[in-house]
Amino acid sequence: MSWDFLLGQFAAQFGLWWVILPAILLGIVVGILPGFSPQNTLIMLLPLTLAVPVEQAMAFMISLYCANHLAGGIPAILVKIPGSGGAAATTLDGYPMTQKGQAQQALVLCFTASVFGGLITTLATIALLPWLSQIGLHLRSVEMVVVMLFGLTLIAVIAAKDTLKALIAGFFGLLIGVIGTDHIYNTPRATFGFLELYDGVPLVPALIGLFAISEALVMIEEKMIVGQSGRERALEARWSDTVEGLRLSVQKWWHIVWTSFVGLFIGVVPGAGASIAAFVAYQQSRLWSKNPERYGTGIPEGVIAPEAANNGVTSGTLVPTLALGVPGGTTAAVMMIVLQYHGMVMGPRLFATNPEVAYGVFISMAVAYVFMIFTILPLARYMSRVVLIETTYLAPVIILVTIVAAFGERQYLFDMSLALVFGVIGYIAHKTNYHVTGILIGILLGPLFEQYLVRALRISQGDLTVLFSSTLGNILWAFLVLSLVLPAVKGYRRRT
Amino acid sequence: MKRSRGADLVIPALALGFAIYFFVSIADLAWEAKANGVVIGGVLVLLIAIQAARIALELGRGKSDLSLAELWEPRDVLGKRAGMVAITVLFIATLHWTGLTLGLLFAMAAALWVMGARGKVLVLLPLVVAGAAYLLFVVLLKTDIPHGPFERLFS
Repeated sequence: MSWDFLLGQFAAQFGLWWVILPAILLGIVVGILPGFSPQNTLIMLLPLTLAVPVEQAMAFMISLYCANHLAGGIPAILVKIPGSGGAAATTLDGYPMTQKGQAQQALVLCFTASVFGGLITTLATIALLPWLSQIGLHLRSVEMVVVMLFGLTLIAVIAAKDTLKALIAGFFGLLIGVIGTDHIYNTPRATFGFLELYDGVPLVPALIGLFAISEALVMIEEKMIVGQSGRERALEARWSDTVEGLRLSVQKWWHIVWTSFVGLFIGVVPGAGASIAAFVAYQQSRLWSKNPERYGTGIPEGVIAPEAANNGVTSGTLVPTLALGVPGGTTAAVMMIVLQYHGMVMGPRLFATNPEVAYGVFISMAVAYVFMIFTILPLARYMSRVVLIETTYLAPVIILVTIVAAFGERQYLFDMSLALVFGVIGYIAHKTNYHVTGILIGILLGPLFEQYLVRALRISQGDLTVLFSSTLGNILWAFLVLSLVLPAVKGYRRRT
Repeated sequence: MKRSRGADLVIPALALGFAIYFFVSIADLAWEAKANGVVIGGVLVLLIAIQAARIALELGRGKSDLSLAELWEPRDVLGKRAGMVAITVLFIATLHWTGLTLGLLFAMAAALWVMGARGKVLVLLPLVVAGAAYLLFVVLLKTDIPHGPFERLFS
């Protein structure tokens, strides 16, 4: 792969600006709305992507996919409603920043972390593709159990204020996550007789209920979602706040780099996804911070970590798809269909037979990120004005629009009712300080954790020592224990 | 002043009820199907027992009561909150007959009224939201969301 080839590819992708820009705008709209996933949008637009040349189709799909990952953080920051599972961790510090009147800075941090996190990992992927494609092969069910546990330890991390309540919330979520048929015999468990729950608890209604509806039911207690001082700051929002957000991003550049790599490495594992990456990155960011107690109060690092990881996943997901022919997620599977329709054979040969397509996908991603920063950054100032809308109008719109959005993913009316049920549970949890994020982490990671755990136990015929049978797994176990022990040691040192 | 701890027991009560139902539903299944659930459910029940014991101790010492006040406070928005939930239930229940556009139009207008909005906004905002939902879900995305008189008229 020569420099001439790469430069030629970059020039060709920049020439597709007329495809990339509309895709970015569509991706942002789809990303802001909870319930609209990029895979569903791409499936609906499949006839269009099959009809155009493969380079244009891939540029369109990649741009939409990346913009979608970025935009999920916008409602997470402004109204505590994550546009997707990958943005759920962004609410932890993004929304408190908004409440402090720093919505514009938080949005800029979200955009820069997303764009530069995505860009850095995309360029790294191009350079390290042969090695990265091997990671997925080394991470088997045993190692994945430990990776899932990394995400789950965040339950303990957020348990700082009331450990028992956070643990109850987390385990309640984990048990909800087990609803549905089991992975081996397909026998239904705790489905309340609803066929709609056989596939497990759908993420979108849970996300909408726990975050959007519960938050809307709480926000009506105040005239606006920001306090008096926050309101004054939002009213005075100037371009200088955007510059301030950029300055913070530059200051925290290393944080963007390493958390985006967390996303990349988790992304290359087929089946793992943005939500796991974002929670793991947030947990690791807090772990290595000098001020872990400030996480959750609205600090830049708490926005950067999940957003950089969330977008680091985008290039990682495509590595096993292109290099091994194993789709890293649903969106990657849709892209694979389009590539195969155009006669491409997935796997290592793709890089020899069609390098312009194989590398073009990642170059297209890098170009999309460059376009994205110029498209979305100027909008931060205007988006942050959302917080000035009175809750009299905001709450009904949030509740009814998100209830309708709950229908979007699976197109079941049942999901609208389910979102309302989760809304009521989320409201009670919110009012009584049982962390809703704990419940969501459980619902998100529970099914995957069970899948890998049961697979590992099946291989060992029920012998639990299988979990400590691989070198890589044991290294990961050591890191896991370290990440649990280190905060306690740090806390002890601080006290003494 | 006594702490109101009744509300603190609502989530544990829900979780316990669900855990019991879960155990019943998996009783006859193979070990692979219940191993994970038994471990998670077992830990959950243990945590709930600790929380219940903690609250029982506080009750015994007279430091708290079982009031649910925390859930309803502040009382002046209780009507709004209950109204919003009731409107949403009604919206979902009648969606088959009203269809998305009309249902959302009426539900938005009712919700805004309950929230205290008056004047032109009571008409304009529901029209904008219902119109946008119609364009997105029915015209652009062609989803299977129930069609009512409005959608049939314009189909």
